[in-house]
Amino acid sequence: MFPGCLVLQRMPQYEKATKRVLTELDIHLENIPHAACCGAPLESFTDRWLHLAAYNLALAERLGRDVLTLCGNCTNTLLRAQAALDEPALRSDVNETLDEIGLRFEGRTTVKHLVELLTDYVEDLREKVTRKLSLRVAVTHPCQAFRPHEISSFDDPLQPQAMRRIVGLTGAEVVDYDAEFDCCGSTLYLADEGLGLEAGRRKLASAAQADVLVDACGNCQLLLERLRPGMGGGAGTGRMVVLTLPQLLGLAMGIDPGELGIGPASARELSRRSS
Amino acid sequence: MSERDLDALLENCTQCGLCREVCIVETLGAHSITSLLCGEEQYSSWLCSSCWRCQEVCPQGVDIHAIIMEKRREEEPPPGHEANLVNVLRSGYALPVDSGVNLSRTFHGLEPVQLIPAKWVEILLQGREGGKTRG
Repeated sequence: MFPGCLVLQRMPQYEKATKRVLTELDIHLENIPHAACCGAPLESFTDRWLHLAAYNLALAERLGRDVLTLCGNCTNTLLRAQAALDEPALRSDVNETLDEIGLRFEGRTTVKHLVELLTDYVEDLREKVTRKLSLRVAVTHPCQAFRPHEISSFDDPLQPQAMRRIVGLTGAEVVDYDAEFDCCGSTLYLADEGLGLEAGRRKLASAAQADVLVDACGNCQLLLERLRPGMGGGAGTGRMVVLTLPQLLGLAMGIDPGELGIGPASARELSRRSS
Repeated sequence: MSERDLDALLENCTQCGLCREVCIVETLGAHSITSLLCGEEQYSSWLCSSCWRCQEVCPQGVDIHAIIMEKRREEEPPPGHEANLVNVLRSGYALPVDSGVNLSRTFHGLEPVQLIPAKWVEILLQGREGGKTRG
């Protein structure tokens, strides 16, 4: 598994819930030892982002494992790097660098975001749901995991549906809302905090009819859950519970909220809303 | 980026404005690269949520991402992006890694982070070109 900087260092809850839920599907994950940043923050400054992306992919190749990602941005970056490194001259240049640390990129690993992996296991998931959730759930999609369509073709790039189907398995009602397919604004927050928060406020307000907003990306979770207090409340932004997809799935599998990294306050609120 | 390079990337652009219509930055009243594509002068290549929706809806297949990346290398970066760059160049990670990270991971029953060795970061990010990267 490649959790990415944000999840690895700031969101153990998301990683914990992913591992717990996938264990139920008999999928056992190991984090790639010595994995670094995917390379995304470098791309705006230097072409060496490709070296960092290739390094991570080469580590996974050496382990003989496929790569599971939890973040839209990492997914997009690693997939684009893999495609770019089909070009022989570029690959040779990158491999010359990797050779200095005893690694080699050969393009043998597969990169999948959690939503795609869960889609592959949808029938197994259906069997594992033991507790139908009586909740109204709004879905926010990890937009960068589905785009550009040239490198990521498992779902509709503009109106992805896979996550809605997965949430539907829990018995929860998946609600439509105007801003469903809009970006949460998290990456924008880096450039302009006010604009990023406004994008998040707009999304939360649009989804205010739901009990839960569910995401599948560290960036979405950062903005919509952690940074929500900075949005000034109002229009529903302060009320709904924001969960990651495996946390919601885990609840439907009857797993204790604590094992999914869901704090006591959120667990109480979920219980109140579902009764 | 030279005028000629930009012209080449924009060769197929008809200024239809679809990219601007779907841009979250434009929806919020600010101006992204899509304003430049529509012939406006007021925009910032950094005002972007990296959602790729503009490129996905473009009927002409314009590589808007490539234009953003090229323009960013000319424009002053916001402090948040600069900080991430500095962190990655120093440690290999966008966020500073401190002891609290592993405390929190252990609390949640997760294994400690096995960091990338500093020497490898240097090889990967400085390499033969040494010091070419900003930050």
